[in-house]
Amino acid sequence: MASVLSDRLVGSVAAAPVAMKIVVAGGFAVGKTTLVGAISEIEPLRTEAEMTVESLGVDHPGPVSGAKTGTTVAMDFGRITIDDEMVLYLFGTPGQDRFWFLWDELVRGAVGAVVLVDTRRLQECFAAVDYFEHLGLPFVVAVNLFDGVATHHPREVRDALSVPANVPVVLCDARRRTHVQETLVLLVEAALRRVSGAA
Amino acid sequence: MAVNGPEPRLPRVVRPYVLTGGRTRARGPALALDATVCATASAPTRPLPSAPEASRIVELCIAPISVAELAGRMTLPVGVVRVLVGDLGSLGAVTVTPPTPIGAATDAGLLARLLDGIRAL
Repeated sequence: MASVLSDRLVGSVAAAPVAMKIVVAGGFAVGKTTLVGAISEIEPLRTEAEMTVESLGVDHPGPVSGAKTGTTVAMDFGRITIDDEMVLYLFGTPGQDRFWFLWDELVRGAVGAVVLVDTRRLQECFAAVDYFEHLGLPFVVAVNLFDGVATHHPREVRDALSVPANVPVVLCDARRRTHVQETLVLLVEAALRRVSGAA
Repeated sequence: MAVNGPEPRLPRVVRPYVLTGGRTRARGPALALDATVCATASAPTRPLPSAPEASRIVELCIAPISVAELAGRMTLPVGVVRVLVGDLGSLGAVTVTPPTPIGAATDAGLLARLLDGIRAL
């Protein structure tokens, strides 16, 4: 078994690609899995991460401080091959606020974040918006079009969330690949503007 | 798509951390979710653990794969995969590449390449 495997391995090993990362956040059942699945080249995987007490930093007061050893949270994972040497990972965050401490690992080194919003439950995205603003991470607000219907204008959502002008707010049917693609384009453009000092 | 999907989720016969001998922490530094694992081209320096999961991980790593994807495909918690990958690394069966440095996310050249790639999807 081992020898057969080694035979297959010889000469087949590629160098690790540059891995870029985008985080998809938002409230519970807002469509994060759908969004990741709409554009990922693999079926979105649900990855279980077990949180242990030592995962909790001292800088995470509040709700997480009472978390118990062995709490399991699930996140969505998707992948897009950009070119021969670059791959983009999409991480859908666990929906519950009390798993902030997991976000820190997901967000470290990320290009930016998509905050997916259901206008019927707008308040559920407040925490994510605050979090990314606080970190200074580029993000876009994507208003999910449930049933493909826009119930609110992006301007209304922008006002309600009071996000800065440099944060794009877009309508996005999370089931439609082109919508998700356009949302990611807006996010990376925003990240580029920030790098070049234009925003 | 079926080829790419996770393995069928069969009932677990053993509890996940039995696979790690009860260990919850990997040997060596902790592996990030977006670290890349890759099987080494040469044969492992020492025999692989007998658990089928070990060989399965090495097979999945023939092409570079992230820790998060590995866990998803194995339908094992990330913590377990971290320990198993750490073991396989110390046996010389896989190599682990740390995540792309944080600076890559603010590198204009890389971002422009990413943007082109997404537009071309």
